[in-house]
Order: sequence, then C-alpha cells, then structure tokens
Amino acid sequence: MAGLLVLLTILAPWGGAAWVMLARSDQLRQFAAVLSSVIAACAALLLLAFTLTTPSVEFALGGVFGTFTFVPDGLGAFLAAVATTIGCLTVIFSLDYMRGEHQLGRYYALVLLFIGAMCGLVLSGSLLLLFIFWEMTALCSYALISFHNDDPKAVAGGIKALVITQIGGVGLLVGILAAYAQLGTLDISVLIANAGSLPADALTITAFGFLIAAAAKSAQVPFHTWLPGAMEAPTPVSALIHAATMVNAGVYLLARFYPAFAAVPGWTTAVLIIGLLSALFGALMALSTHDLKRALAYSTISQLGFMVYAIGAGGIFASQFHLLNHAVFKALLFLGAGAVIHTMGTRDMRRMGGLSRAMPFVRNVFVIGGLALAGVPFFNGFWSKELILEAGLETAVWSFVIMLFTAGLTALYTLRMIWLVFFGEAHAAFPAHDAPNAMRIALGVLAAGVLGIWLLSGAFGHLLETTLPYHEGVLHVESTADMIFALITAPATWLTLAVIGLGFALWVLRARLTALTNALTPIMRAAAADFGFEWLNRRIVTTAQSAAVLLRRTQTGQLNWNVVGIVTGLVMVLVVLMVGR
Amino acid sequence: MEFLPFLLGSVICGFFAVRAARLLHAALWLAGISVLIALMMYQLGAWEIAIIELSVGAGLVTVLFVFAIAVIGDEPISGRSLTPKLLAAALVAAAVLLLSFFLFPVEANSAVSVQSSFAATLWQDRVLDALLQVMLIFAGVLGVMGLLDEPKVRAAEESGLHAETPAPFDQPAPDSHLEEERV
Amino acid sequence: MTGTILVIGVLALIGVGLYGMMILHNVLKLVVALQILTKAAALALVAAGYMNGQLQLGQSLALTVIVADTMVAVVGLALAVQVRRHFGTLDTRALSTLKR
Repeated sequence: MAGLLVLLTILAPWGGAAWVMLARSDQLRQFAAVLSSVIAACAALLLLAFTLTTPSVEFALGGVFGTFTFVPDGLGAFLAAVATTIGCLTVIFSLDYMRGEHQLGRYYALVLLFIGAMCGLVLSGSLLLLFIFWEMTALCSYALISFHNDDPKAVAGGIKALVITQIGGVGLLVGILAAYAQLGTLDISVLIANAGSLPADALTITAFGFLIAAAAKSAQVPFHTWLPGAMEAPTPVSALIHAATMVNAGVYLLARFYPAFAAVPGWTTAVLIIGLLSALFGALMALSTHDLKRALAYSTISQLGFMVYAIGAGGIFASQFHLLNHAVFKALLFLGAGAVIHTMGTRDMRRMGGLSRAMPFVRNVFVIGGLALAGVPFFNGFWSKELILEAGLETAVWSFVIMLFTAGLTALYTLRMIWLVFFGEAHAAFPAHDAPNAMRIALGVLAAGVLGIWLLSGAFGHLLETTLPYHEGVLHVESTADMIFALITAPATWLTLAVIGLGFALWVLRARLTALTNALTPIMRAAAADFGFEWLNRRIVTTAQSAAVLLRRTQTGQLNWNVVGIVTGLVMVLVVLMVGR
Repeated sequence: MEFLPFLLGSVICGFFAVRAARLLHAALWLAGISVLIALMMYQLGAWEIAIIELSVGAGLVTVLFVFAIAVIGDEPISGRSLTPKLLAAALVAAAVLLLSFFLFPVEANSAVSVQSSFAATLWQDRVLDALLQVMLIFAGVLGVMGLLDEPKVRAAEESGLHAETPAPFDQPAPDSHLEEERV
Repeated sequence: MTGTILVIGVLALIGVGLYGMMILHNVLKLVVALQILTKAAALALVAAGYMNGQLQLGQSLALTVIVADTMVAVVGLALAVQVRRHFGTLDTRALSTLKR
C-alpha cells in the first residue's frame, strides 16, 4: 500500500505534467493540473498513515549503483504531504492568478514536475537518487523564475538562482562521493548508521559538503542572495517553491543527517551560526525594503535561519515543527500578497495602503498569517518559535539573546508590512477588488491551517519518533498538552512575548522615536545594500567575465587546434601522474 | 600471436582511412577496421559484442556514411593542415609513450573468474548502463531530427507564426507600470 | 604475450585516431578519425576484460561505448550535412564564425 502511495505522489504530478503539455485547450490544461495535484495531495496525506522505516519501493540497478529505494518514513512522508498539499492549493490559486497568461501549459507542467520532484527528494532512500531529485527541483525553480522569459530581470534572477544553487549541488555531490568512497553504498540509512565508523576526514568532507548544499538551497548566509532575485517568478510559484517547499529541502537535509554529523567537530556550531546570521540579516533586510515580495523573501530567509539555528542547537523536532508551520503561514502570506499584487499591479508597498476596506477577505487572512509570522500566541508560528528559542537557551545563552532580538525585529517588520499594505493612507486610485473564488479557496484553507495545525504537534512528533530510528534521543517530543503547559509556564516564553510586544510598540510609536530611527539609519542602509553580499556577488561575476575575456585569446576557433589542446592536456596529466608515481 | 595480423591490418586500415583523398574511400577503410576489430573480439571470446560491432560498426555506420556522402557529394579538400604535422606527430608520440609507460609490462590476470553470461551481466549488474543507452539513442534520434530539419520548413513555420500574431488593436491598452514590473 | 600485442595494437589505433583529429580539416573525415579512436576504446575494454577474467563486464561496457559512438557518428554526419548546406563546404576552416 505504502509503495503504491509513494509512486502515486511522485508519478501523479508527472503524469499530470505530461497531460498538461499535450492538452489542446487552456481549460483542459487547468483541469489536468488541478486533478493530478489533488490526487498527489490525497496520496501523500494517506501516506502519513502508512509510514514505514524500510524501503517500500525498490528498483534494483545492479551491483555498481546499488538499489534505488523510496523510504516513506515520518520525515519524508510529512514533507511530501506539505509539498503536495501546498502545491495543490497553489495550483488552485493559479487558476485565477494566471488566467489569460500565455503558455499556461509550460507553467502548469513545470509546477507539477516540481511537485513530483520534491516528493521524490524527500522520500528517496538513496543518495544518488536524492541528488538527481535535488537538481531537478533546482531546474524547475530556475525555469519558473524565468517564466516571463521576455523580461530581462526575470531571466537574470533565474540564472542567479541556478548558479548559486549549483554551488550547493556541487557540495552535495562531493559529500556523497566522499561517503560513497568509504562505504561503497549509496544507501542513506547505511550512511547514518555507520557514520561513526567512517574516517574523520571523509566524514568531515561529507558533513560540510552537505552543509554548503543546505545553505545554498535554503538561502542561508552567505548564499542567500538568490532568493530576493527569485521574486521575479509568478507569485504562486514564489509561494510554493521559494517559501513553502524547495527552500525547506536544505533544512530537511540537515535534519535527516543530523545523527550522522552531530559528532563532527565544529559542525553543529557552524550550523548554529549560519542560522543565527541568516535570521538576523534576513529580519534587518526585510525591514529595509519597500518591495512587498522581497520583504516576504527576506522574511523567509530569516525564518529558515530560525530552523537551521534550531538544528544547530539540537532541536530537530522544533525545526521540523517550525518548518511545517512556516510552510503554511508563509504560503498564506505569499498567496495573500499575490492577490494584492494581482489587483494593484505593483509590488511597491509605498504605492499601496488603505486596502483594508477594498479587500476585507484578503486583509483578514493576511493578518492571520502575519500574526503567526510575528509569533503571537495561539497562532501556529508562536509554538514552534518558542520551542526553537527554548532549544537555543539550553545550548548557548548568547545566541538566545540574539535570536530574541530577531524575534522582536520579526514583529516589527511584520507590522510594518501589514500597515503599509492594508492600513495607513491610500496611495493608489485603483479600484481594488477582493479575491476571486479560486483564490479564496486556497487562502481559506491555509488560514484554517495557520489557526489549527499546531494542535497536531503531538501527533506529528509521535510520527517522527516512531519512524526515525536513528534520531532517537535528539527529537525531544512531547504531547500537545504537555507542550502547551511547558511553554506557558516557561519564563523564556514571557520574555519573548515581551520582546515581540516591544517590536509592535516600536512601529506604533515610530513617530515619537526619531532619535532611535536616526541612529538606526546606517544599519538600515547597510541592510538595503544586502550587507555587501550583493556587491560580493557582482565582483565574482565581473572577475569571472574579465578572466573569460582574457582567455578568449587562446581560442583560435579552429577545430584542429582545439584537439591539439586536448591532447596536450592529456600529455600533461600523464606527466603529472608519472612524476607522482 | 594470432592477433598480430588483425592488429596490423586494422592499423594499416586506419592509416589509409586518415590518408584517403576521397571520402568514400575513408568510409570503406573505416569499415575495414570495424570488421577486423570485430574478428578480434570474436577470438577473445566476446561473441555478442563482436556481432554487434560487426552489424552496427561495420554495417550501419558505413551505410550512414555512404548515405551522407551521397547527400553532400564527395568534395576533395586540398590545402595544408592548420596544425604543423610534426607537432601533431610529436604530441601523439608523447601521449602513446607515456601511456605505454603506465601499461607495460602487461600482466595478464587470467585466473578466469565465474563467467556468467553477457545478458546476465548487462541486466543484473549494469541496468543503469542499459537505461543510459536507451536515453542516448533517444537523444541521438532527437538530435538528428533537429539537425536534418529542413531550413525551408522552419522558414515557413516562422512566417506562419508571424501571420498569427494578433494585430495591435487586439491587445489591451498598455499600462505603463504593469509593463515595467512583472508580477 | 597476447596481452602485450593487444595493448600495442590499441595504442597504435589511438595514435592514428588522435593524429587524424589533429591534422584533418574535413568534417566527415574528422568523424572517421573519431570513430577510429572509439573503436580502439571498445577493443581496449574487451581486451581488459579478457585479461582480467571479467570478459562479460568488459563486453557490457564496450556495448555502451559502441552505442554512444554510433550516436556520435550519426549526429556528426547530420552536422556535416548541415555544415555543407549552410557554408557550401565541409572545410572546418570555414567554421570559425564564433571567433568573429
């Protein structure tokens, strides 16, 4: 049964993609896309009831490449359920958002291809298969960012995302090869079980290779610069790929291999610091931008930073719980922003304002998502953020203080965003209208998720606990009632709430605190300039280009000389080998 | 020792294939190499691959060569080569000498292990290779279809596309900042 | 002895192929030279399998080489046809338009 469901979650979207490509009319395309994504979502949700710790689907590929397996354990099945459910809602949302666009076939086919690849990524039990799906998601992300391929900004954003995630891909490949060279197998469970017996240097290469891959995929410092550029994608794509699913693949990778790498010296500290810096920088940059989607993108970097930080602090369950909650509320925020952008025709928050009356439904769901993002009690983001901060407090107090500050910043930029868009004075003479029906369905389901999904934390923890044999002792799972009691009685929670309140108060009182705002101007300016990372990116690109111009002289354009170059290279390699012998 | 005539023959065929003035002759010398190599494979006991080499290498590829030459005509190209022949010969000699430094003396480790059949080896140990071959053939077919796409047909398609683009008045009135900011 | 002769033969074929690739400037003859190189590779794989008692493995690897090199030949020939059609000649010296 589990095997059938696994195949269905991966192959239903892919079959749908093929159908979409072959379909003749836009209506048929939309029907095919919705049908196949709903089938995948149902299969993935059913899969949660059939989780296993052993492979459920196997393709024997002979002695050299081992067996390609799919293991529907709790972690994989849960992420597949997130990917397909939010994927399905995104497809429904797109019915309105993308109506009338050209080349709908390409759009839906790529989205469905992505959903299938994401499920394959989290369910695969073989490192090689994991790598293949990993690259497939990167390719879909690139193609969808550049969906409007007549827009140079979109094309540039797509290429930037592709190049930076490829750096991560190389890290992953090097890590996999280092492990494979020692173990002689590509099985993930074998790697986790035998990590302790690997030579220290091989394990270190694998651990840090995977960390680079995770940082590039999850847009963590210093590889975060592609995510704001990715906002040129159609908004549903941003919600699905760049907020709820693909960017979580890095966090998934770290959580999955935590038992194997936790003992590597310096690894957990590196994870902790990367998460910490990303959370802090992301929050500051979100505060400094005027572009609604970029603000959400920076906030995604920041929230992913929280998850990575939690893994560094050993709170695997906290990070996965926050991943679930973040996927739901950030998809809601993005889709809500999409509804606003769709009706306003601009992404600049300074040209919005006063939309509260024209779009009451969108305002309501956006505020719900915003409160969850800020970590206000009884929305889903609150619980997981508190769990993360608890884990941080137990590991390193200095990092807890910085994360506390970041939580305050989160509240500040969230309120600023909501205020600029929905309240304040109106800047546009547009006759804004509320969201159409298909958008409402998607937004409503997600808003219900934000309000209620945290009640499942106990069941979710139990699911992870029973199906992840190697994570025993690092999960720290409690039942929902215990978690509520523990968090409400913990002093750290009240401290966090006070800081969050302070963040809100700062925005409300911003007119009276001119001295403070003036003092912060240099920091804001640095944040607007991306703390120099954008400059670094440009430097690397220009250096590569000028080197290419210099090397151009060596190109004669004549085939024979090219072959001479190749043979000369062969001779040189042989000479080096001979000397080394 | 029994391979010596075949090897000598194939190297001589190679020499003439490279030196041949006419394209058709080059293709036929190439077929000769193929046949000799297939015979050597047969003698080594690799019957299956010998048959494949003979049918594909000597048969199919030669037919394709002849077909291509018939399409484009035999064109003798004169003129000196771009690269100095001496340089080419020196590089080849260097590469071959260095390779032989690594390869010799040849140690035959002919303790024959359990010989399964070719089909069993291919389908049990190297399934991924088989899949790769299928993909290669598919990609090759696609590549050829793309390359042999007649220019005339493509030009006709393009003009057809131009005819289909809507007249300006079909498009909605351009909204300036909708245009500049893609959402 | 058999092994030595086979290795010498393979090396000689590789040398002929490489030499041809370096001095020929007719697209079709370049494809011929490339074919000589890959045929040497296929033979080398079978010979290595023979010498190490793993003939079947050598055969299945050689099969991949043959398939790949046939596809290369097919695409190369199609490319030659197109080159002839666009440039009116098979001379590779006419093909350096990327440089200009």
